[in-house]
Amino acid sequence: MNTMRAYYDRYLPWALGIAFLFGLLVFPFYQRESPYWVYVGANALFYAILASSWALLAGYNGQFSFAHMAFMGLATYASGIVGREAGIWALNWSPALSIPFGVLVAGVVGLLIGYLCLRLRSTYLALFTIAFAEILRLVFKAEVDLTGGPNGLYLKTFNLPFLEGLTRYASTYAPMYYTMLAVFLFSLVVMYALVNSRYGIFFRAVREDEEAAAALGVHVVRVRILAFVVSSMIAGLAGAVFHHSPGIGIVVPDEMQIGRMSLVIAMAVIGGSNNLMAAAIGALFLHFALEWLQEIPMPDALMSWLQAHQATLEAWGFGLGEAGLKTNAWRMVAFGILLMVTLRFWRNGLVSPILERIMQARAKEEVARGRAAKAGKDLADVDKLVVDESPNEGGQ
Amino acid sequence: MRLELKKVVKQFGGLTAVNGVSFTIEGSQLVGLIGPNGAGKSTLTNLISGILKPTSGEIWFNGERIDGKPPYVIAARGIGRTFQVTRAFRRMTVLENLLTPGLAKFGNRKSRAQLEEEAMEILRFLTMDHLRWEYASNLSGGQQKLLELGRLLMMDPDLIILDEPFAGVHPKLQRTIYDYIKRVKARGKAIILISHDMESIFTLSERLLVLNFGTLIADGPPEEVKENPEVIEAYLGKDEEEDQFLPTAA
Ligand SMILES: Nc1ncnc2c1ncn2[C@@H]1O[C@H](COP(=O)(O)OP(=O)(O)OP(=O)(O)O)[C@@H](O)[C@H]1O
Ligand SMILES: [Mg+2]
Repeated sequence: MNTMRAYYDRYLPWALGIAFLFGLLVFPFYQRESPYWVYVGANALFYAILASSWALLAGYNGQFSFAHMAFMGLATYASGIVGREAGIWALNWSPALSIPFGVLVAGVVGLLIGYLCLRLRSTYLALFTIAFAEILRLVFKAEVDLTGGPNGLYLKTFNLPFLEGLTRYASTYAPMYYTMLAVFLFSLVVMYALVNSRYGIFFRAVREDEEAAAALGVHVVRVRILAFVVSSMIAGLAGAVFHHSPGIGIVVPDEMQIGRMSLVIAMAVIGGSNNLMAAAIGALFLHFALEWLQEIPMPDALMSWLQAHQATLEAWGFGLGEAGLKTNAWRMVAFGILLMVTLRFWRNGLVSPILERIMQARAKEEVARGRAAKAGKDLADVDKLVVDESPNEGGQ
Repeated sequence: MRLELKKVVKQFGGLTAVNGVSFTIEGSQLVGLIGPNGAGKSTLTNLISGILKPTSGEIWFNGERIDGKPPYVIAARGIGRTFQVTRAFRRMTVLENLLTPGLAKFGNRKSRAQLEEEAMEILRFLTMDHLRWEYASNLSGGQQKLLELGRLLMMDPDLIILDEPFAGVHPKLQRTIYDYIKRVKARGKAIILISHDMESIFTLSERLLVLNFGTLIADGPPEEVKENPEVIEAYLGKDEEEDQFLPTAA
């Protein structure tokens, strides 16, 4: 193999990874003139955590849950309730205490729901989790004394002094953004540690064929519950931190709607739910795209033409802003079509095949090096076994 | 190794698939299990490996009652089985398929690198090492059968139940499976071999169990079982048109 090519294959994933991380780190400085986009960035990171942790549960372990947003909301409400200053059960806990508590509640309830879902497959699991999510949302809506009801629960925001300083150089939303970035990176590290451990293999074996995995000694109960608990806790962490961050400070029950959940699923599926990073990138990208589509910036020449046809545009459900075309509901239509096209033609998502190609180049290179190192041993075996070395070596 | 079935019954609704089967297997025997289609052979395999629970009766393995225990506990005790219709983990590579049982059983004691090394050795034995990075879904039917056998070697059970390992397999691959069975037996393992291929059953087995309509109708050395009138009737049937037959010579 050509050395240039080998170096390229080996270092490309690292280079891209570092560039991606660098981009995320400098984004608030780059956008310091437009705090709105930094706020959008923090939201995008929130969705990226949800999409990737859902991919862990559904993509890796095959448990197609609709309760992921419910666990996000549960942790947020649990920490919000123990953080209240007045009313029944008001404990006035600080976010430093109440957020871990909320995450723990999500974990415990995740354990229970994971256990109840053990015998449920695909469609039934989806229906069960939809029912659970809706019940939880309606309870939060109805328990006005505890949760504030439909108007939402006000939360104590946390202040991180070392991030506050950044507001001067970057945007006002920098503290929120960097907090979500930290949670995002932390979740990815935890999830990658898990999928690279033996449990990663068990997750997928159980997804592929639960009975066969059990017959081979895989403790399927432990594996399924572990996936449920970990992904629920990560969703809970994302929710609790996001809603307690300066700039939010409130949670409403309708954030746990099935519609929101479907959005997370669609993001993960379009990115590629068989790959944590692909699901995360899909969510980041799509959240920005959806925000951008709210009002597509237009050049002046086109703008005046559009203004001349304002009535027709409005009849079609579009609108006109200061300097752009408002797509209103049409952006969700575009999103829906993208989802349908992805499901029909790219079952593995749009981002995942690209990531896999980049990583595979590296894997191939590792195989080549491994074989060279063991050439002596391999040659001895070849004599005995007459192995035909087919050309699909190293392919996936 | 000691496996004992006591009056095991399995009913599916009104259908009795296994009807009061009792037998004991001790030591490293190679036991053939035969019977016409629908006789209950696969059901019996599912009962022993814990995929199904008996309606009544008991199953004991090495002094422990195992019926009603989940399959992963039974697997950990040392019973491994293949499936009549292969069940490879399709969206996992060949190597990952083999690592699954290895990590499940030895994950606490052996490193992943060590298990990969063992998996590669098994793949070389099965002449599949060049396919290690291939997704299992890309393998041929016969290769998937070999893959299931490879997974069993990784979990290193004391008793192996092979449900139709030769069905739909090319003679060249059949040789590999023959070698596999001999190698497993040489390691002192017990094997229950289910097959409709009478030639291999008669060459390989030391003892033969015959099931018919869920009932054990014969149990003994192959030469003896071959002469058993009930077995001959079950295989030939009263109907002259039936074209299944027992080979005249082993
Ligand atoms: N899960 C099930 N539910 C209902 N009936 C079943 C089930 N599994 C098996 N049976 C029935 O039990 C009987 C025995 O089936 P089994 O698969 O054990 O036969 P077999 O001896 O393995 O046959 P073959 O040689 O065709 O593989 C059949 O009548 C079958 O229809
Ligand atoms: Mg069968």
